[in-house]
Amino acid sequence: MLSLESVTKRYGSLTALSAVSLTLRRGEFFGLLGPNGAGKSTLMSLVAGLKQPDSGRVLLEGEPLVLSRLDLRQKLGFVPQTIALYEDLSAEENLRIFGRLYGLSGARLKERIQQCLTAAQLVDRRRDLVKRFSGGMQRRLNIVAALLHEPSLLLCDEPTVGVDPQSRNAIFEFLQQLNRQGLTVVYSTHYMEEATKLCSRIGIIDHGKLLALGTLDELLTHLPSTETLRITSSGAGSGRIAGLESFGSVSVTADATVLALAPATRLSSVFAHLEEAGIPASAVQLARPDLEDLFLHLTGKSLRDA
Amino acid sequence: MSTVLVLLRKDIVGFLRDRTAVSLTFLVPAVLIYIFGQVFGVERSSSGPVGIPLAVVVQGPASAAADAITASLRQEKAFRVMTTEKDAQGVETVLTEDRVRVLFRENKLRYALVFPADAQSDTSFGLKVRFLNNPRNDIETQMVTGLLQKTIFTAAPAALLDSLRKRAVSFAGPARTEAFYRRLAENVAANFGGDAGQIYDDLMSGRLPSGTGSSGAQGAATSSSTAENFLDRILKIESEQLSGQKVKNAAATRSVGGWAIMFLLFSVSGAATSLFDEKKAGLFLRLLAAPVRRSHILWSKYLFGMLLGLVQLTSLFFAGRILFGIDVTSNFGNLLVICLATSTACTAFGMLLASIAKSPAAASGLATFLILTMSAVGGAWFPTSFMPDFIQVLSKFTLVYWSMEGFLQVLWADCTLVELLPYAGVLLAIAAVVNTISIWRFNRGSLFE
Repeated sequence: MLSLESVTKRYGSLTALSAVSLTLRRGEFFGLLGPNGAGKSTLMSLVAGLKQPDSGRVLLEGEPLVLSRLDLRQKLGFVPQTIALYEDLSAEENLRIFGRLYGLSGARLKERIQQCLTAAQLVDRRRDLVKRFSGGMQRRLNIVAALLHEPSLLLCDEPTVGVDPQSRNAIFEFLQQLNRQGLTVVYSTHYMEEATKLCSRIGIIDHGKLLALGTLDELLTHLPSTETLRITSSGAGSGRIAGLESFGSVSVTADATVLALAPATRLSSVFAHLEEAGIPASAVQLARPDLEDLFLHLTGKSLRDA
Repeated sequence: MSTVLVLLRKDIVGFLRDRTAVSLTFLVPAVLIYIFGQVFGVERSSSGPVGIPLAVVVQGPASAAADAITASLRQEKAFRVMTTEKDAQGVETVLTEDRVRVLFRENKLRYALVFPADAQSDTSFGLKVRFLNNPRNDIETQMVTGLLQKTIFTAAPAALLDSLRKRAVSFAGPARTEAFYRRLAENVAANFGGDAGQIYDDLMSGRLPSGTGSSGAQGAATSSSTAENFLDRILKIESEQLSGQKVKNAAATRSVGGWAIMFLLFSVSGAATSLFDEKKAGLFLRLLAAPVRRSHILWSKYLFGMLLGLVQLTSLFFAGRILFGIDVTSNFGNLLVICLATSTACTAFGMLLASIAKSPAAASGLATFLILTMSAVGGAWFPTSFMPDFIQVLSKFTLVYWSMEGFLQVLWADCTLVELLPYAGVLLAIAAVVNTISIWRFNRGSLFE
């Protein structure tokens, strides 16, 4: 569906993307995870055909994406980070404009506008000016405006920035539904939770380099441990729990004792040991490592701090 | 107090970092004060117009009075006196009245002084001249008329009297001439007052009789008025308006174009700088990700500006018709042509602003500065002839000047399409040059990044 072959993009002395290679299959929900300034938007703009790479190639269905190929853009839908809508026009007028730009007209345009307004739950507000919409409504319209022409690849550049949790969940469900219907989605975000929840495959990007690529499980295998047990101080008491080191590495913080389980450790034996030590089950929390841990492992810094 | 000082410091730092605010506060007023100063002669040793073309045509034989008046007019810095013109091959020919009328029609001349064949009749004492004029600018015309009267009234009588005396001597002999002049002096004294002997001496020496009237303060006043009466009787200036005779409301017709063009520039600049708003909203990203090129976006903006300009100008002229009775319908086709050319050039100007400015605030500040300066220099507020030579030259590089000229050609001179084409052509040429620069700037700039 989409291939990036050793793509590099520079802005003056700054290398925004460095030899990024990537292949997306049809129907994938691909997440691009990285902090602000990592190169996500640059990569999106290259795939959207807004910019040309300094070296390397971007191929859409085997054909090079170059600025002059307007026909290839029919296959793309792009949801910018900002609310890219004419706020002094109504929802319907906005969709009509964008639909016409993609060559839709007549009954087909009318039908698609109706479908998109329905999907965005804005049918009742179709004639209202966009500037009168709530942030969530604007975001939903911002997304469906990229879907009018039924693209085969949807590019979403951080589409939920500044959106309340309820609207965010509505957007997630909408995108997942589209993906289930066969739409390939590239979704850039700096929220680990979004990437984890939505994406079948994730690429982690920082300083223009693609650091890791794969499904969530594949990515987590990059970490030395897979699971962690956290025993709160209230449960463990003030002393050290004897014999815990035999199950993995132990670290003690002010409020908890943390056990990073060694590979192939049986959880049942650990819990039996804790029970014998008089630790109540309510004081024990089992945690799987997440993308935050992976990002920390790969870059030495937290995703939120980057 | 320290809180106030902290906030004050914040305002000062913010202001100094805002180059647009700084330029609007200091540069724009300075430039406009300079232009107004030039117009009203604050800086120059004398105020008034400079270098207005004035044709002088002598139809009869060479005359001392015509020569003297022409020489005096050449001394006036307000006029650039033309008695001949050069053709394309550089051949110089003496101007005729027919040729002068053509130049009026071509808007290359607004004032001409014609000494007709019977300027100095053999049978009557006096001088007759014709003043051809195109009073499309009333302030300028009033000043030109006043200056012409002053010059003629100063230079003509002496030359006239001396010429008359010499002709009389050669024709009738010295004795009979002296007798004639003595009787003339007695008649002048009898009719206008003064000492006949003094008048005789003045007449024989070629001077204007100055001793007419009573002596003393009251006498001085009477002397002045009687001298004017005397001049009025010996100098006859016929005025002929060659253009704008049918104009219904001259004052409104003269000024409507200037105001229209200024507001149009503000409108189209605002429309063009809306590009910044669309960029900020991320709309260019959405549009350029669609099957849309940069050129599509720019052309749509350009056509919108042209359409807006055309509608605004037409509306303003029709408002002028309703409010002031300006005749906009009798030459409506040509009015549309010049409005379209003006809109094209003004929109190009707006696009240039959008292409060179880095922010909407900068574009707005630059627009204010350039529009006010162009309006002042281009003649939208006052005649360019009131400004120094270099500003008059500069004004011809502004679209305001050519738009104003075009509007006046249509509304004042009732020109034909062929006569209007040079003005529309210059405006379209300005648009082409400015658009080329804009496209170059848009390609190099960051508007679409």
